[in-house]
Amino acid sequence: MSLVTDIKGVGLGLKRELIPQIQQRYQDPSIANIEFVEIAPENWINAEGKAAADLSWFVERYPIVCHGLCLSLGGPDPLNVKFLKQVKAFLKQHQIPLYTEHLSYCTDIQHGEAGYLYDLLPIPFTEEAVHYVAKRIRQTQDILEQRIAVENASFYVAAPISEMDEISFIKAVLAEADCDLHLDINNIYVNSINFNFDASAFLKQIPGERIVYSHIAGHLQVQPDLLVDTHGEPIIDPVWKLLEQAYMQFGTFPTLLERDTNIPPLPDILPELNKIKQIQSSFHHQKSVATC
Amino acid sequence: MLAFQQYQIAFTAHIRDPKHNSKPARVKDSRMAIYREIVFNNILSSVSACFPVCINVLGKRKWQQLCRAFFAQHQANSPLFREIPAAFLSFLNTQDFTQLKLPAFLTELAHYEWAELAVSNIPEHNCTLSTDADLLNERPILTNAHLLLVYNYPVHTISKRIQPTTQTKTYILMFRSSAFRIRFIALNAMTFELLKLIKNNTITGKQALLQIAEMIQHPQPDAIMQFGEAILKDLMVQEAILGSSGL
Repeated sequence: MSLVTDIKGVGLGLKRELIPQIQQRYQDPSIANIEFVEIAPENWINAEGKAAADLSWFVERYPIVCHGLCLSLGGPDPLNVKFLKQVKAFLKQHQIPLYTEHLSYCTDIQHGEAGYLYDLLPIPFTEEAVHYVAKRIRQTQDILEQRIAVENASFYVAAPISEMDEISFIKAVLAEADCDLHLDINNIYVNSINFNFDASAFLKQIPGERIVYSHIAGHLQVQPDLLVDTHGEPIIDPVWKLLEQAYMQFGTFPTLLERDTNIPPLPDILPELNKIKQIQSSFHHQKSVATC
Repeated sequence: MLAFQQYQIAFTAHIRDPKHNSKPARVKDSRMAIYREIVFNNILSSVSACFPVCINVLGKRKWQQLCRAFFAQHQANSPLFREIPAAFLSFLNTQDFTQLKLPAFLTELAHYEWAELAVSNIPEHNCTLSTDADLLNERPILTNAHLLLVYNYPVHTISKRIQPTTQTKTYILMFRSSAFRIRFIALNAMTFELLKLIKNNTITGKQALLQIAEMIQHPQPDAIMQFGEAILKDLMVQEAILGSSGL
């Protein structure tokens, strides 16, 4: 059985394209740095046939994290309790120790019923929204009978009705919900360009004790002041620097590479996984030198 | 509704249908454009992945218009991505095909394409099979991962070039092989009836074929038996029938 403590080192988001490539290279030293994988429960709940066989293969070989996309913690419709119960059963069935979600919403109400937009939309940063989202996170944790972590999301539109900045919103929600943080390093950078703030100063205010693991990814530069969070490009230097700053500040934590679009063959992704490992090792090394 | 939720509703209404719903006040349009694009494109690719032949028949422009209408008017109410194509199918059923100048076979073609996705996700049942299959004297076991389909158009032959205008009753067995390949077999009416009889795995091949002979009032039931056994054996070679069970 996997425990939260089994989620360590370096992880990779499990995309369908990558599955046969990982299976072919299993136990090959070249992919030894894939230490855990992440799946979206919305893709795998009730999976049968080939998908079920693939899932079993990974469950037997890798610690797995569930990273949700459609819980819609900030959505105007009632929390989807039926779905949450499916998530709970899924986590139990496959002994998946961790479930995280986004600090965003992906639903609305059409003709009096919930409708899904299947994308991550920005919650306005208001006091009311803090209480509303925190309450839904608590409700989620109560139903699952376990803590969840929420991820700082990337976004492109600043809500004119916002009453606070993003970091204040995140901190307020985490404190009020008493949940963990799934820190997305790339999202900090993307938002810092899109909304012209200092990413490093933002990172300094993160409550490090709540971090369970982090994401790192590439993005698409559309304009000098507009980045789109595609997870489809190589990671750029300033994002690597932010990861280093985070390790420096909070100590190392598990870090997972997200590559969701424009997916190259696995060997082309490995250097980024190896680089995460190398940065983690350099910090472990420094730490042990410091304690000698 | 809370103030921030009113903003959210205006935000999503605009994303769903920008022509009819203006963006929330004081929001930068160049940034709103990102959401208009990425959210729709995401839905479009989720739907499109399931319906390559429909896209080919309609052309990209008409297909996009249809997906746009789906996104604007129809709610997809499942958080599971796999269920988006089914929501699109139910949307198609509400459309006025004549007004939209859509081919009459489109709903059936879309259903046929969706069936492939559906069959890929049907659970297989565990059952004990005899080591030597006896498809006549034992119960033939049809894989649970199958759908028996009836259409008014020959959906499996449709392409950009071949678009039927007249109806032809079409029977299809769609099933999953042991290597998870989705296969289809066009059936004649008799084989379709035979599969309907054996699909619940409750009767022997002989019993099923005798029923067929009676149904069509065939003068020589033996001929049906021979012919039927050959069909069952062929279905086993193709992995639609897994074997037989005497239990």
